[in-house]
Amino acid sequence: MLKGRLSGFVFQLLAFVLALVFVSLILIAAKASPMEAYKNMITGSVGSMRKFAEVLVTFVPLLLVTAGLLITFSAGLWNIGVEGQIVLGAIGTAWVFRQFVDSTLPAGLIITLAIFGGMAFGALWASFAGALKTFGGVNEIFGGLGLNFVSTALTLYLIFGPWKREGVASMSGTEPFPDHFSLPQLPDLRISLWALGIALVGVVIVYFILQGTYFGLKLKAVGKNFRAAYLLGIPTWQYSMYSFLICGALAGAAGAIQVAAVYHRLIPSISSGYGYLGLMVAMLINYQAVWAIPVALFFAALNIGSIQLPIVMKLDSSLAGVLQGVLVLFVLLMEGVRQKFVKKA
Amino acid sequence: MITDLFSATVLIGILASGIRLATPYLYAAIGETFGQKSGVLNLGVEGQMLLGCFAAFYVALTTGNLWLGLLAAMVVGALMGLAMAYVTVNLQAQQGISGIGFYLFGLGMSELLFQRLMGTVETVKGFPKLSIPVLSGIPGVGEIFFNQNILVYGAYLLVPLAWFVLNKTTLGLKIRSVGENPDAADSLGVSVARVRYFTIILGGTLSGIAGASLSIALLNVFQQNMTSGLGFIAVALVYFGAWRPFGVLGGALLFSMVNSLQLWIQVLGIPVPSDIAVMMPYVLTILVLVATVSRVRAPSALTKPFEREN
Repeated sequence: MLKGRLSGFVFQLLAFVLALVFVSLILIAAKASPMEAYKNMITGSVGSMRKFAEVLVTFVPLLLVTAGLLITFSAGLWNIGVEGQIVLGAIGTAWVFRQFVDSTLPAGLIITLAIFGGMAFGALWASFAGALKTFGGVNEIFGGLGLNFVSTALTLYLIFGPWKREGVASMSGTEPFPDHFSLPQLPDLRISLWALGIALVGVVIVYFILQGTYFGLKLKAVGKNFRAAYLLGIPTWQYSMYSFLICGALAGAAGAIQVAAVYHRLIPSISSGYGYLGLMVAMLINYQAVWAIPVALFFAALNIGSIQLPIVMKLDSSLAGVLQGVLVLFVLLMEGVRQKFVKKA
Repeated sequence: MITDLFSATVLIGILASGIRLATPYLYAAIGETFGQKSGVLNLGVEGQMLLGCFAAFYVALTTGNLWLGLLAAMVVGALMGLAMAYVTVNLQAQQGISGIGFYLFGLGMSELLFQRLMGTVETVKGFPKLSIPVLSGIPGVGEIFFNQNILVYGAYLLVPLAWFVLNKTTLGLKIRSVGENPDAADSLGVSVARVRYFTIILGGTLSGIAGASLSIALLNVFQQNMTSGLGFIAVALVYFGAWRPFGVLGGALLFSMVNSLQLWIQVLGIPVPSDIAVMMPYVLTILVLVATVSRVRAPSALTKPFEREN
């Protein structure tokens, strides 16, 4: 077993190196210096406290989404609708804020309510995908894709319709919420320790659900063998729904934080692609919750580190996406190679 | 005014642009249909389209030859398909994940290349309108159907062709059997791997054309992330169309017609609240989604890697 794990680690490392080599080749072909690009990405992400704080701002929603997806993956479900669940979380939070704009209640209470509101909306949206799957027989991938479009539409509708800015509505989003509606941030840095705390609590809870509870065990049984689990008397459809609800709540929390701690309003692309990125992270860590933190942190660092590339090197910040995509593909590649090795041995 | 919408010229305009706008959906979704029929879900369509989009545009811009541009898009799409086939067939990787990997790769790569090779938004003169003699002279109908560019005609010819290949040829039978029961197909001597390689590469090629149709036939420009979710809609269209080429055609037309209507409403300045216009295609998605519930059954082996049992 240990040997299996060790070889798994070696192959993942190899995949990482190969991905770097591959991207370097692309950069060389595009007449850019790979070394300089990587150097810029490192200094751009951990070069200063301010930049590292930005990395954490990206890390928080990504970690929450990844944690949620670990639950649905454990139940054998492909919750690609997670993008929409983030969006609905943001909408829920914005909705609660709007109810209390003129309220005299303490800000802390309102923010708490708003975050729970976001989680509830996210869970509700996930339950749609779950219901389509369990009662309608709609594969969760297609249902999720459809619901993602609808969530985008809902956001646009709100921004251009009922929640329109004074004067003219625009893609820049709704009117920003008052300052006291934002999660307290560190002085001079954009990161909120509260947000970081929520994300860490989220991943710890998921870890315990999966590793230490009977519920988690049953969930994994459903994921491993749906039919066998059913025959053993586990109410499989209930477990599928639970996993959608938990994942939706966590994704909703990610959306809530995007509103309460990052953008302070609702914007059209509020999910920022964290859903798809979270799917990648969850797969890369092979559904092991312990690895969620370092890998999500690494992906966040890539995203932030690449932001200054266009200014410094006339390279696009999309290099982060290329690197992430290639990394995932090489991990899949090496995993396949490893399987072949294992079979031969 | 709202009554403007019902004048003959405007109606013809709406229908003609609806027909035109269905083009990228058709190429991408028909390609995806082949893949899914053989049991492979390709979620990387969007990435393949974006790279195809860029390749077609860049080659057309630098060589001045649209056909070379189209060829470049096909090659790029086919190569992405080849890589996808290797990962999903030989390595038996999770199809959803590898698809999203290819999506991220294509998205990033097309932006990177755009930034590096062009930097600014430029335009090309895309495929010109090709009026079909006689038919294009029919009032109304001619303008709607027979006064389009060649990639539009290609997309509509592809639909019956795909139907014929899937339902009336041995190749189609092999594709369907591999998607429904790969073990049985294998035991009858059908190479599951070869069939899947074929469908995935075909899908990639068609996605490349779908991208090219945007950048050198419909919009004649390249912008970052210009497909904006179109590839994912194409994947969903396969489902809405119940894995049938003509079903896909219906879905694609429904989407493109609503889009076209929305564009014309904006152009004419009809006082329909813009939020309602923007939402129309999405509301449609829900309706179609609800309407298709339990009506269709996916190919049994969809998303399942095949491994021969010893």
